[in-house]
Amino acid sequence: MKSIMQDIKFYDCRVIEGSSTSIVLDNGKIEEISRNFTRGAGIRALCGGSWGYTAVEGDIDLKLGVDAASKLAFSMNASTPKEEVELAAVNSPDVKDLPEIRIDPRDIAIEEKVDLLKSMEEHAKIAGVNSTQVMYLESEFKVQYRSSECLECEYELLNVGFAVSAVASENGVYQAGRESRFGYGYELFENENVLELAGNAGKTAIELLKAKTPKGGEMPVVLDQELAGVFAHEAVGHASEADLVLEGDSILENRIGEQIASPLITIIDDPTLHEFGYYPFDAEGSESKRTEIIRDGVFNSYLHSRETAAKLGGTPGNCRAQGYSMPVVRMSNTFIDNGDSKFEEMLEEVKNGMYLVGSRGGQVNTGEGIFQFNAEKGYLIKNGELSGLLRDVSLSGNTLEILNHVTHVGNDLKMTAGRCGKAGQLVPVSDGSPHISISKALIGGA
Amino acid sequence: MYELARKALKLAEEAGAEEAEIYYAANHSTGVNFKKDALENAKDRFSEGLGIRAIVNGAVGFASTNFAGELENAVKIAVAEARVRENDPDWVALPSNGKYPQVSGIFDKKVEALELEECIGYAVELVEGTKEVPGTLPTSGGFTRSNSRRLILNTNGIEIEEESTGVSGFVDVITVNGDTSTAYDFAVSRSLDIDFFALGKNASELALKSRGGIKIEQQKTDVIFHPFAFSDILEEALAPSIDADNVQKGRSGLIDKIGEEIAVPELCIYDDGLVEAGIDTSASDDEGVPSQHTTVLENGVLETYLYDSYTAGKAGVKSTGNGSRSSYTSSPSVGLRNFVIDYPQEDIIANTTSGVFVNTIIGAHTANSISGDFSVEARNAFTIKDGALDKPVKSLLISGNAFELLKNITGAGFDVRKVGGIITPSIRVSGMSVIG
Repeated sequence: MKSIMQDIKFYDCRVIEGSSTSIVLDNGKIEEISRNFTRGAGIRALCGGSWGYTAVEGDIDLKLGVDAASKLAFSMNASTPKEEVELAAVNSPDVKDLPEIRIDPRDIAIEEKVDLLKSMEEHAKIAGVNSTQVMYLESEFKVQYRSSECLECEYELLNVGFAVSAVASENGVYQAGRESRFGYGYELFENENVLELAGNAGKTAIELLKAKTPKGGEMPVVLDQELAGVFAHEAVGHASEADLVLEGDSILENRIGEQIASPLITIIDDPTLHEFGYYPFDAEGSESKRTEIIRDGVFNSYLHSRETAAKLGGTPGNCRAQGYSMPVVRMSNTFIDNGDSKFEEMLEEVKNGMYLVGSRGGQVNTGEGIFQFNAEKGYLIKNGELSGLLRDVSLSGNTLEILNHVTHVGNDLKMTAGRCGKAGQLVPVSDGSPHISISKALIGGA
Repeated sequence: MYELARKALKLAEEAGAEEAEIYYAANHSTGVNFKKDALENAKDRFSEGLGIRAIVNGAVGFASTNFAGELENAVKIAVAEARVRENDPDWVALPSNGKYPQVSGIFDKKVEALELEECIGYAVELVEGTKEVPGTLPTSGGFTRSNSRRLILNTNGIEIEEESTGVSGFVDVITVNGDTSTAYDFAVSRSLDIDFFALGKNASELALKSRGGIKIEQQKTDVIFHPFAFSDILEEALAPSIDADNVQKGRSGLIDKIGEEIAVPELCIYDDGLVEAGIDTSASDDEGVPSQHTTVLENGVLETYLYDSYTAGKAGVKSTGNGSRSSYTSSPSVGLRNFVIDYPQEDIIANTTSGVFVNTIIGAHTANSISGDFSVEARNAFTIKDGALDKPVKSLLISGNAFELLKNITGAGFDVRKVGGIITPSIRVSGMSVIG
């Protein structure tokens, strides 16, 4: 073993310990109360150009873990040697300004949480809604990081959130409305008007029953904050992840310094914001920091891990992992920055087109720069005014074309919490934007 | 943790549980992954833990842990949670019939015994396959093998233990010159019967063929969905509606449709936990109910929904063996087993005069799982002209409805593929709305 360790240039360990609670209320009935306790570690070792990774759950012997990961890295490097991996330098992170928690959810009795869910559900179940679900989630975890470079740091986070959904049906048509919020501390349930949000989920479901499906085609559109945020995250954010760039799977490869978007567009990733994608340091011990991905339409920076930062030049700080999985380059809180247009001006400018609201998710091909998103709902814009509600509206197109077709950026930035999937791992993120208008986009419909 | 499963069951009874269940799962996986054409990392993952269901007065509590020190606490919490809940009149009991069918092909000793060097070899084959086709490069991919052990115990006498293995290969490629195009291929199996070289080669050929895509007119036309594309639509837009839980909660588009003809009469769909070497094959489901072959759709007529033991108890029927868990950290809910699409096969492309062939889609998860409406972006799509693939299509939006689609199926290919647990050939659907 000694001989192997001589060839191991670097190793690090993340130990994560935590627990989570979930309560699910379905159609007025508690469907699930569940509590999970987990403990585990993820250990990386680097030999030449090869990584070895070991993940273990339960009671952990870190030394054994480091040996196992080192052996994997060593064998990989021996059988398929390649260019040495360099890692950008990191300093010991300053762990400060963690989200403050005024009301500790652990001090709130489970009965009280159940009662809150019940009243939320009553508000969601307005006349015409025939099925509802409310979910409460709470999780606390402690991350400890140590590396062979003698970096040692740790932090603890505790977050809570809820999701409410309502389904309405009529003549065999089913439509759903959803709302969710996530934050840090039980005060979330005071700061947000949760009962009104629950009511909105019910209202949306009812409204959508009467909505029409759009006639597809190319037209000018206005996107609301949530859908524009999804565009910023999915279409631009993922393509700026340096690991994808290095794989040759990004349209933003070799584009730094180029004008790739309308000068109205600035897109930022900022893990220091106390939004759902917050972290004080990433999975490699790099202190979190704000990155301007696009500044005034010019592509400014990729998002980096230590490895990609060394290869492409840049600053690490965006390497993240779900639990004990191997860290990869990820976003945090990603948003289009405020401009100065007003929503009403956009409608007037667009005159005839479509206003798309909310998101039911989307996907993107970063290599070809093609995306597809489904809006929760839409409205026809006729003579500069909103008319007829639409459902099953989707937006698809070419990322760079859309970025260049942005004609207005609003001044009403709003963030939405969610979970982003990549490499089989989910991590908490948020994304957002002000309202934006686009001169030409492809709308899909029935 | 394995040794603690029996102790945990006893602890739950002592803590006041009227019924209790212990679900133990352990998994060891080894993966070798590449970025571009260089192997980048090897990963070893050991996962092991216990999930506890405790029932008091017809109410269920659940807790899980992956370390021994927290076991007693987790058991007590599961019982305490059950006490917080009101009696659930729909709760019948944990499963009790422990007579299990024989299943085969789900454990391969060779997979269990694979050394790292052999895993590296299979990953290299994926990369080598892509190199057969000049003008393309892999972007990422890898080989993974795993072996799992599962033990289910409950206070009604259920005791079933099973071991299984799994193997998978995945490769993503991009063209390097001229017009950029991407493609992927993957395969999942219980044993080492995957041709990894061919996977790499297929993906590269597909990416290359997809270059120089044309625009096509907005139209209604015949669309042939490759098993990858078709299984995505099935999973997101159709399967949720045959889940009895969704049906009971008013969230299914197939409520009150049992006995009705909802599809073309040539179409049959089976849910089958017993398929030889199936990805979702095992002697029992994830709560100890014996696996079975369930006819979901017979000659176009909807025969049944899929049930776990809770939803079956609520409906007064027998569980179809569809209690499923994503890990030991969750209690069971209804999930597909091997989902088999059966339709008379033919030389599907040759028998299509004009239309579109779609290899993969993106955005299926945005489908409306109740109404069945979907709008997806087709990838690696080709026009069909006089019975042959003609030109690649750059970008194609396909909108439709899963239930309408079932009524418009007009053909199936010979190319049956196991896409995870969904087993289907290519399927032709007439009158699909496409926008190029």
